[in-house]
Amino acid sequence: MNAPRPYALLAEITYRCPLHCPYCSNPIAVESAVLSGRRTARSPAAPNALRTAHAAANNAELTTDEWKRVIREAAALGVLQIGFSGGEPLARRDLADLVRAAREANLYTNLITSGIGLDDERVQLLRDAGLDSVQLSFQSDQSDLSDQIAGARAHQRKLDVAAKIRAAGIPLSLNFVIHRRNIDRLPQMIELAETVEAQRVELANAQFYGWAFLNRAALLPTREQVVRAREVASAAKARLAGKIDIFYVLPDYYETRPKPCLNGWGQRYLTVNPIGDVLPCPTASSAIADLTFENVRARALDWIWRESESFNRFRGTEWMPEPCQSCPQREIDFGGCRCQAALLTGNAANTDPVCEFSPNRGRVDAVLGEINSSSDYAREWTYRVNPKTREISKML
Amino acid sequence: MPKIRDSVQPRLARGVRLETDSATGKSVLLFPEGIVELNETAHGILTRCDGRTVSEIVQALAEEYDADLAALGSDVRETLGDLQQRRLIELT
Repeated sequence: MNAPRPYALLAEITYRCPLHCPYCSNPIAVESAVLSGRRTARSPAAPNALRTAHAAANNAELTTDEWKRVIREAAALGVLQIGFSGGEPLARRDLADLVRAAREANLYTNLITSGIGLDDERVQLLRDAGLDSVQLSFQSDQSDLSDQIAGARAHQRKLDVAAKIRAAGIPLSLNFVIHRRNIDRLPQMIELAETVEAQRVELANAQFYGWAFLNRAALLPTREQVVRAREVASAAKARLAGKIDIFYVLPDYYETRPKPCLNGWGQRYLTVNPIGDVLPCPTASSAIADLTFENVRARALDWIWRESESFNRFRGTEWMPEPCQSCPQREIDFGGCRCQAALLTGNAANTDPVCEFSPNRGRVDAVLGEINSSSDYAREWTYRVNPKTREISKML
Repeated sequence: MPKIRDSVQPRLARGVRLETDSATGKSVLLFPEGIVELNETAHGILTRCDGRTVSEIVQALAEEYDADLAALGSDVRETLGDLQQRRLIELT
């Protein structure tokens, strides 16, 4: 199959993170396998553990030189943008070296971070390396609630970090993951973005993969909350036009048509995870059980992008079942999200069950019905477990 | 859209980079979570956003392409207006 050229690489350089957010999209079972070198019993809700041969055979994070090679190969393939993400990318001391390598390859460099670990010296190092933009996560606008969500004392530090980033003249975006416990604070979160002079703010409802899938019953907002939040977001968008770009993302369970996930599988994006597995989508490794991923230690990125089974499985429209195959929307929403189809129907090749024409839409409606008829508002969630607690506490 | 004055100096907004896409040879603007491919007019303008005013840019383009000044001026203003609305340039 003819492969298009990719535009963006998500470099998940580590799964280590000082926060424990219960909506993290990282795989539930992979971290301990990857980083401690052994597989642990997986959580009952985890669809599957990491299945690559590499995880067992060679479970260390990619080295600096390996990442530099990945960056060069990505640029040669046509990639124009790189997002350094994780986990917490600042947990890697070579981050500035990787940013510099990406700039040398003419990539636009984004850092997607919790901010924890970003002191004056590292801001300076990253700026000197040519970092183009920082996306700083916040859990809410208030310390108490934010720290409760993150499972760590982080909010005040994030405020300090935001000021440092602005002082260094690096463009700043704020990313909020929205869910049932913070969605009512949307106006205050937008105010926070104004206060720290962000150029851009993402208010994205949790999408239900990884830890968020595990914690869905505690995270999915009610219909009433969603309606109100949408009004708040669109009013703010109008009010702040020309000053802050506001992106509001609905929880897609409340949509009737699926999101055009990734703008099509294997069309524009690729993700490389900490151990070098190349994923068409960052959540594919945990959501889609019968897909095997190639590793940059064994194969050239170009081959993986063009030839591998994992990138070609859902490329184009031939794989589509009905009702997608004969749907006029099929090249608009691409059948929705493969991971969601896998998680909710057990088959990644099904139509995304969010779609009103999916024979499985009832599964989404059942979840919504349960959430909206329950008065049990603040349910417990499970915090993301950290792979290397000793290293993390050192960082904190 | 407000009229763009001749005396303003357009420049790329903070966080926006002008690059050549090596896969296509075309000019692109890169910014957080976004890529815009530029047409010839936009490329011509943005490669001259080096402190020159709008009228100086129009003048330079008119000379280079031997084009009608008035028609070119309106093209340039339209393109600048579009880029400004998308916050990819600033006018100072």
